[in-house]
Amino acid sequence: MTEAIAAIAHDQHEHPPAGIMRWLTTTNHKDLGILYMSFGGIMFFIGGAFIMAVRAELLLPGLQWLSPGMYNQLFTLHALIMVFGAIMPFATGLNNYLIPLMIGAPDMALPRVNNWGFWILPFAAVLLLTPFFLQFFGTGSGASGLGWVMHNTSLDLQSGIGIDFAIFTIHLLGISSLTGAINVVVTVLNMRAPGMALMKMPLFVWAWLITAFMLILVIPVFSAAATMLLTDRHFGTHFFDAANGGDPILLQHLIWFFGHPEVYIVLLPAWGLIPHILATFSRKPVFGYRAQVYALWAICFLSFIVWSHHMLTSGLPLAAEVYFMYSTMAISVPTSVLVFCWLGAIWRGAMTFETPMLFALGFVAHFGMGALTGMILPDVAVNAQYHNSYVIVSHFHYTFFGGGIFGMMAAVYYWLPKFTGHMFDEKLGRLHFWLTVIFFNMTFIPQWFAGLDGMPRHIADFALRFSAMNLISSVGAFLLGLSQLLLVYIVVRCVRGGPQATGQVWEGAQGLEFTLPSPPPYHTFETPPAVK
Amino acid sequence: MMDETGKRKQRTLQLVVALMLFVAAIYAVTFIKLPVWLPALQ
Repeated sequence: MTEAIAAIAHDQHEHPPAGIMRWLTTTNHKDLGILYMSFGGIMFFIGGAFIMAVRAELLLPGLQWLSPGMYNQLFTLHALIMVFGAIMPFATGLNNYLIPLMIGAPDMALPRVNNWGFWILPFAAVLLLTPFFLQFFGTGSGASGLGWVMHNTSLDLQSGIGIDFAIFTIHLLGISSLTGAINVVVTVLNMRAPGMALMKMPLFVWAWLITAFMLILVIPVFSAAATMLLTDRHFGTHFFDAANGGDPILLQHLIWFFGHPEVYIVLLPAWGLIPHILATFSRKPVFGYRAQVYALWAICFLSFIVWSHHMLTSGLPLAAEVYFMYSTMAISVPTSVLVFCWLGAIWRGAMTFETPMLFALGFVAHFGMGALTGMILPDVAVNAQYHNSYVIVSHFHYTFFGGGIFGMMAAVYYWLPKFTGHMFDEKLGRLHFWLTVIFFNMTFIPQWFAGLDGMPRHIADFALRFSAMNLISSVGAFLLGLSQLLLVYIVVRCVRGGPQATGQVWEGAQGLEFTLPSPPPYHTFETPPAVK
Repeated sequence: MMDETGKRKQRTLQLVVALMLFVAAIYAVTFIKLPVWLPALQ
């Protein structure tokens, strides 16, 4: 009898429960990692579908099929979904799956909180999208159309339930992000295997520890700003109401105090994983480890003191403008340290160009263009010219897509064999890379030139002289969206089968996760590994 | 004497409580003080 009970206990311990209950109730970091990544992937395609509608409107001059109000809703939902629904949850999925494996911990420190943090997300997504779909049934005036930072002053007369739904969504997402961030800090500081000193941790873990501190500092500010907006709208306060002694610029300050670090919250996880991928496929150790750790901390610090470069046309005093211009440019110093370390990693390496390496190099090239264009924009005189133009749209897509999403795709291809136990189709992976590169640039280079020529953003129509650039950009966007379906096919095929992946997976791969079989057992490192 | 697992649980609890208090403090400061401090930049 005792042996039978022990066998059942052993069985439940080693194998996950079957069916839907496994995914609803799981506290296992690998299961939750897969849930987060799957959610991020689904939202990536929903957010992409919204922007396809926007690009269809911008295919030709004149209003084609969207009203200006609907146009505002679509680009706002695209941005909110891509930042908060796709990139951040996907990066959180990677940290859930990988951090315990990388530091030799059996799980995250707070597994139940981890489950709660994930299951908030689908409800937040439903809350965000509900008013958009309700308008088609004659209820409400649609979703928020204020842009992702909710302070678009040209649109702030919008009323209706959409903004309230967005405010509640922000609160839910904030709770989810904070639980995840606290979990990362506690896990990394408290759960490392013996011998895994802080300065021995993989850079991905460092990047996520710093990201978590940033989230803990800025999410409460964002949530508080959203609460203040809610009380202004419904409970008679006047934080942002100029007619009653409030200050509309205060909302911009609060939102950008969150919004600028948020850019680094999106990018830091990618900056942490790229050095590992470059080192693996160059057959070299990570280059400039300490320099990269200090550079990440420097970027974290600087990101908190530069927020008003997003507000250089809001009427700041000259001294403040000059301060925010120079402090923003100062970020290029630690960022350059990172870029030169990435280049140092491949310098004279025995490089091979498997799909993860291609995406990692694509990340360096495209993020580099985003960073260089970002160097120009904080210049006060230049900013006055290009603020609210398509130059900005092109710039931040080179950082968010060229940096964040290229980084996440490099991670997908790098760790997919580890997650599934199967190798993916390398030829299709390379095809996906080249299609993404070509159509990404076809979409966003024309936007840069249209912006230089004076095309404003956030407007559903454009002057005739921007027609050619918008036509190329729209066709590029449609093809970019279509080519991402190839990624789905590659991932699904890899999950269902394929050549068996070894534990090491890649010849030059280093790190504790590669000492485990592929896929790793359901429970790992219950006895802490010895780290030299 | 507390064993290593007990110490780790205690440290986890202390860290979580400290971080949650930090979050609450920033939320409160945003309401109470930032509307005074930030407009001074203008």
